[in-house]
Amino acid sequence: MLPQRMKKAITDNPKKLANLIDLVNLPSTLREFVGQSQISRLGCFMSVWSYIKANNLQDPNNKNVINCDDKLKSILLGKPQVELAELPALIKMHFPKEPK
Amino acid sequence: MGKIPPSFRSAIGNPNIRNPSSLFRPQPPSPPSKPFPPTKKKSPKPIPQQPNPLFKSPNLEDAKKIFDSIANSSKDPRFPNSLLHSYAKIATSTSDSVKFLHHITKTLPSFSPDHSTFHILLSHSCTNPDSNSNPNSNSALSAIHQTLNSMRAAGVTPDAATADVSVRALCSAGHLDHAVDLIKEFASKHCPPDTYTFNFLVKHLCKARALSTVYAFIDEMREKFGVKPDLVTYTILIDNVCNGKNLREAMRLVSVLHEEGFKPDCFVYNTIMKGYCVLSRGSEAIEVYNKMKEEGVEPDLVTYNTLIFGLSKSGRVVEAKKLLRVMTEKGYLPDEVTYTTLMNGMCRKGEALAALALLGEMEGKGCSPNECTYNTLLHGLCKARLLEKATEFYGVIKEGGLKLDTASYGTFVRALCRDGRVAEAYEVFDYAVASKSLTDVAAYLTLESTLKWLKKAKEQGLAV
Repeated sequence: MLPQRMKKAITDNPKKLANLIDLVNLPSTLREFVGQSQISRLGCFMSVWSYIKANNLQDPNNKNVINCDDKLKSILLGKPQVELAELPALIKMHFPKEPK
Repeated sequence: MGKIPPSFRSAIGNPNIRNPSSLFRPQPPSPPSKPFPPTKKKSPKPIPQQPNPLFKSPNLEDAKKIFDSIANSSKDPRFPNSLLHSYAKIATSTSDSVKFLHHITKTLPSFSPDHSTFHILLSHSCTNPDSNSNPNSNSALSAIHQTLNSMRAAGVTPDAATADVSVRALCSAGHLDHAVDLIKEFASKHCPPDTYTFNFLVKHLCKARALSTVYAFIDEMREKFGVKPDLVTYTILIDNVCNGKNLREAMRLVSVLHEEGFKPDCFVYNTIMKGYCVLSRGSEAIEVYNKMKEEGVEPDLVTYNTLIFGLSKSGRVVEAKKLLRVMTEKGYLPDEVTYTTLMNGMCRKGEALAALALLGEMEGKGCSPNECTYNTLLHGLCKARLLEKATEFYGVIKEGGLKLDTASYGTFVRALCRDGRVAEAYEVFDYAVASKSLTDVAAYLTLESTLKWLKKAKEQGLAV
């Protein structure tokens, strides 16, 4: 069952959790969007998602699609439309794995 | 799904089905029925019920001043004890409390400290911040000793209740080894501990130490001080080894139990049954149940709940349903745990709709479902791919402001994503975070991995 496996993954692999919740110095594009110089990947996802909700950017005909405004375009590869399902992956691109 | 789904775990956490707690509730080792002299319980009460605490600062001088101003306001002989209790609660060190007691005895010559006075001091001597700052130090033990010394100095002999208070204070502060040392010291100097103290300590040892340590402790107590384990002790031990899935040891303990001349009671049987049930060994659990009936021990609600749990877990839902009827005939009203357990079994069999019908029956009988019931059903409906029903159910959960558990959240999110309803999955994610059902991290990781899996599935042409 996945939740248990996941719990195990988290306890076994603190690094995986760390790259989700550790504060990271942001590149300038993101910095402008979130208004902070440091944020975790989780925090970034939350702020983008709440930005989408606050500005009603979900397509009224298909809620699974986001119509990006200019601000959102600047951080999501400049795409005019983004699928909600892609969101975590797109945000993850701003948080490259740190070279060991 | 061989393991207990997490949606069920909280049902086990429910005191009605978790045997350890319900086992011991009717028997004395639990705190509510401490064998204290009645004064201990009565005396501290008046003060804590006051809306404003009398003593606001742990400073000794301030407390003395407050005491002086009200010293003669009450003629109740318990009054000084109450004051001492409320001061000891906030005092930063035991010596402050002891000094405060000296001050009381000086100011009120008519007051002579008795057992309950010192029990108040003892129960608070481990909760002071300075004795807790360093868990490895001996300060907690020395605080107890300090109090015991002043107790003897005042001409009050420590008794079994004193030992009980001290041991409980040490254990609740996490100084288990000190508690063991103390009980031995007590047994050699003053009096052997009573069975309640002994069992309390055994229970704590079981939780935190290796079984061999517990056995060594019991043997030492028996040989040196003549403290014999009783039925409750054995129940604690059996429960402990059953939780560790060591059923062979449990059986050995049961035979020891017989050798010692104890007749197992309902609690012992329930514990053994639970051991089998957790390992999905339904047939053995039934055997225990039959043996129990042979021996003329009346099964109780916990017995039935345990059995229904075990049978559901080993996939014998039909028998579990039969048992539900049997227990009703015997006059035990099935509670929400019984129903949830049974629903869980049905859901595992993929009979989510039957489980839903059972919910109707349950509500019809005036038994209201709890959070766990809803989670079990949500989980089951998703597994049975009845997404519409599941969504409806989610609405009920949300309306009631109930929490989702990890399993039902994950299953539901996956089911929604599989159906291409990503936006709704996001909404569920929001609800899970807002209702504090899961941590942000757990909720997000589930969502992220689900979406990742969805992408892969799409690439392979498996999903919408």
